Amino acid sequence: MCANCGFPSVPGHWTEAGASTPTDRLRARFRRAQLLQSVLPAFGLSVHDDGATPGVTLSDRTGRHEMVGDVTEVWRAAERMSGCVIDPLDPRFLAETQDADGRDGA
Amino acid sequence: MSEIRDGRMRLTVLGGFLGSGKTTWLRHQLHHGQMRNALIIVNEAAEVPVDDALLARSAELRVLPGACACCEGRDALVALLRAICDARVGGDDALSSLDRIVLETSGLADPGPIVDTIRADPVLIHHLMVDEIIIAIDALYGLDQIRHEPLTLRQIETADRLVVTKIDATAGLELARLVATLHALNPGAAISGAVMGSGADLPDHTGIEPAAILPTEGEEASATIAATRLDLSDETDWPAFSVWLSALLYARGDDIMRVKGVVRTPAGRLLLQSVRKVVQQPEIVPETGAKPTDDDNSVVVIGRRFRAEDLRKSLAYFAGARR
Repeated sequence: MCANCGFPSVPGHWTEAGASTPTDRLRARFRRAQLLQSVLPAFGLSVHDDGATPGVTLSDRTGRHEMVGDVTEVWRAAERMSGCVIDPLDPRFLAETQDADGRDGA
Repeated sequence: MSEIRDGRMRLTVLGGFLGSGKTTWLRHQLHHGQMRNALIIVNEAAEVPVDDALLARSAELRVLPGACACCEGRDALVALLRAICDARVGGDDALSSLDRIVLETSGLADPGPIVDTIRADPVLIHHLMVDEIIIAIDALYGLDQIRHEPLTLRQIETADRLVVTKIDATAGLELARLVATLHALNPGAAISGAVMGSGADLPDHTGIEPAAILPTEGEEASATIAATRLDLSDETDWPAFSVWLSALLYARGDDIMRVKGVVRTPAGRLLLQSVRKVVQQPEIVPETGAKPTDDDNSVVVIGRRFRAEDLRKSLAYFAGARR
């Protein structure tokens, strides 16, 4: 809550809703990193969240890395670094059963 | 949603093509005491406003003439909304009792960018919540406009509620075809009829073939819009769903008109709404009772150029990340 205007403080990214306690927030944060890490390696990228500094770090196989603030930024940076848009409706994500390709479970 | 009390004003966007009967409909609502605690903003593309004279019954009225609020008039709209919110928080007597703003857009406005603008403004997001997009459609010319004006299509696609106006002006079958077409274009929107603003029954459109919509911008308008309901399984937690949806909107935001639903999270029931690529900050809605309702943990995705089955498979893939 903002002490000046009485309204809640700046809302985070919309994906960060749904957790009201610090524990839930941290748990959701690591879960998001885990989910991203299950998708991005297939595009030559990996994601790391240390749980302390804001945002996550995205890196590619050449050692380039970018720090990004929220999940939408992750997709934007991933497009920049990998050269393609990560489309959830790409056939690789439509397999009935998941394979191990690119999924290391973080 | 009126039970949510977070201090923010609710914003209703009332749109529709030129001459579709927006002001008449709104005037009737005001005449009957609906939207009593609402401030009305009328945006007109023309320099000389006329609609404000017709809306004298509103509690408070502001006029935004000369530019359309979805494009060149955006800054003026933000400035006006900020001034209103400022005055309300500052204890302005006339404004402090109001809990809603109704923005009547110009007939040439696309509601999508207007909602984007409000959502993206760091001040307004704390004061306003976009509650409903209502679009008026002319019963007589509606089909023609859908066929020839891409803007009409965009207006219809983003609507939560479609009001078919002047339904006394056309015969039953034509009207039923319009209703069937509207239903096909935006299966998620509630459709009602009106004559001079007062509610009127629409004919049954069961079994009526929607009008063929000819392509207006390449294949843009020819792809069929469909509504897909996604029931979230227990393993699809909010982080999984939101990461998936953010990717989907990033990659295909132009094809996804609306996403709406209620998702259970550790913090409570989250109300989720998006218009194209922009997702409104989800908010916690009160519990409806002891048991979860059928509508909990389900989300409707309205858009084109995807198969319902693919959405489900893709979401299941994302949600399947090992914990």
